[in-house]
Amino acid sequence: NMKRPHLAWLAVPFVLFVGALPLVNVPFLLVWCAGATLVTPLAVWLAWRGDHR
Amino acid sequence: MSASAVATGVFAVSMVATVALGLLAVRGRGGGGGGGGLAEWSVGGRSLGTVFIWVLMAGEGYTSFSYLGAAGWGYSYGAPVMYVVAYMTCGYALGYVVGPLLWDYARRHGLVGITDMVAHRYGRPWLGAAVAVLATVFLLPYIQLQITGMGVVVTTVTYGAVPPGWAYFVAFAVTTGFVVVSGLRGSAWVSVLKDVLVIGTLGFLAVYVPLHYFGGYGELFDRLVAERPQWLTLPGHGAGPGGRGELGTAWFASTTVLNALTVVIFPTTVAGYLGARDADALRRNAMLLPAYNVLLFVPMLLGMAALFVVPGLAGADTNLALFALVVDSLPAWAVGLVGVAAALSSIVPMAVFMLVIGTMWGRSVLPLVPGWGAGERQKRASQTVVVIAGAVALVMTYVAPNTLVRLSLVSYEGMAQLVPMLLLGLVWRGLTTAGAVSGLAAGVGLVCALVFTGNDPVWGVNAGMAALAVNLAVALAVSRLGPREAADERPDEEVLARDPLPGPDPDPDPYRLSVGPVSIGDKWPVSYESSCESSYARSCANSCAGEGRGRSVWLGNEAAAVARRPSSETWSGRRGCRRC
Repeated sequence: NMKRPHLAWLAVPFVLFVGALPLVNVPFLLVWCAGATLVTPLAVWLAWRGDHR
Repeated sequence: MSASAVATGVFAVSMVATVALGLLAVRGRGGGGGGGGLAEWSVGGRSLGTVFIWVLMAGEGYTSFSYLGAAGWGYSYGAPVMYVVAYMTCGYALGYVVGPLLWDYARRHGLVGITDMVAHRYGRPWLGAAVAVLATVFLLPYIQLQITGMGVVVTTVTYGAVPPGWAYFVAFAVTTGFVVVSGLRGSAWVSVLKDVLVIGTLGFLAVYVPLHYFGGYGELFDRLVAERPQWLTLPGHGAGPGGRGELGTAWFASTTVLNALTVVIFPTTVAGYLGARDADALRRNAMLLPAYNVLLFVPMLLGMAALFVVPGLAGADTNLALFALVVDSLPAWAVGLVGVAAALSSIVPMAVFMLVIGTMWGRSVLPLVPGWGAGERQKRASQTVVVIAGAVALVMTYVAPNTLVRLSLVSYEGMAQLVPMLLLGLVWRGLTTAGAVSGLAAGVGLVCALVFTGNDPVWGVNAGMAALAVNLAVALAVSRLGPREAADERPDEEVLARDPLPGPDPDPDPYRLSVGPVSIGDKWPVSYESSCESSYARSCANSCAGEGRGRSVWLGNEAAAVARRPSSETWSGRRGCRRC
């Protein structure tokens, strides 16, 4: 049980919280983390949409 | 009526309601003390839909740490506390793949926890038992932390009317009261009450506290930037010589990755995964759960706000930063409600911790003892272990609180060392038993050495991540270069996990068999026959027969079987194993 390139969307929170952190580091870091938290459901939805096309 | 009496009354009524709700969860399902098998009790009969899985897993994510520790870290350190939101969000996204993988593996082979999976993957029951013992050592401190957290909260919100010692016992009694009878389903129902209260109280506090003390968020942020800028960027406040370790960007990144990997195989998370009705329920939850994490910013922010309202808190008192604001600014009934939300944030995770310890021992440790292996006795043993685990944590809270607290320092990083054995092992057949065990031993040994000698973080990196790297290197080296093991004749489909296809399953059962009547059990001779069955149906039938009832076989979308007594009536029905 396949090629699912859309699963790459699941890397978005890792990129925002881990990859971008050295650059990132109202209080900006706080807002960045809140934004990353809210963007994650959208990223997972894009993976879901790719799975259910 | 005094404020203390009002708050205590609100708390007492809510605790009674909690037990009642937990017990009502299994009404008519036979999942309680008498009926229902171990799978019904431990993973809700694998029948929880998207909503229940969401409230359960969100409920597990909000522990007493969310109210106490998060506010305390916000007060003491500032920005580093955001690692909690970061790893949980990343972990939920990772769960989009890992959740269905583990769910499908467990469903196909009739497994109910990570120790089962390890035993099945490597074909060695003793390895499942060893992992169960190790996981218990790492999970017990969490139960004690929840008990202690609830004690602190209850004493605070009742204005001292309920002393901590009594509150500890209430935490144990309430949790044991429903989890022994109703298992995971009861925890899910109590999570509904908890999530409503958590969302309501944190949503209210997020608006009310900044308005009450500062006139709004603008003024709060202005004061933070002007007076406490250290709290707003990593490594936060308090780093440096003589202080705590450096919690900089390397620590934040390594902790986020390590904990995201760990949370998806954490026994309590896996219990939630395995309770799902289908894989898509887990995928939907991976979308919905990260949004819930936004609420975690509330205690963190209010912890920072407390810097200006109750300055000078130190040590363990910083954990009460949030409640200092609550008690100072709200009427008694509202204080009681916030306290109930925090208390339930201890009770729900504690219930699932106790449940998974009971399940691990009932399925993986006690069956190695002759006569303890099957059917109703296995479930009874699991329920007994639940009570024992809770009682041990409770007694340790009274007599040796520092022992488990010290152990808790290594708990999460220790559990992380199971990642190669479980996750890598389930997708790569090349990982040998010797390799997995050697890696685990090296990882656990190193993380304990680093943490207990005060070297966490090590070179700025989370000690658990350093240990995981060593763990992985040792596991790969031993698997490649170590002694060759006896060949495992089982096919890959039997040993490895797969990510089940999204949407309706076009191949509902890869293990479609056609068998004639087979004799199973000896207490009540039962035969069963089927043209479409799964290994889960087989294990269910065997379990039912072992219980001496023997007339029900699990029936679901992917498995249909009929059980009957020879030459007599025939029974059938959807998911009939629940009646066993």
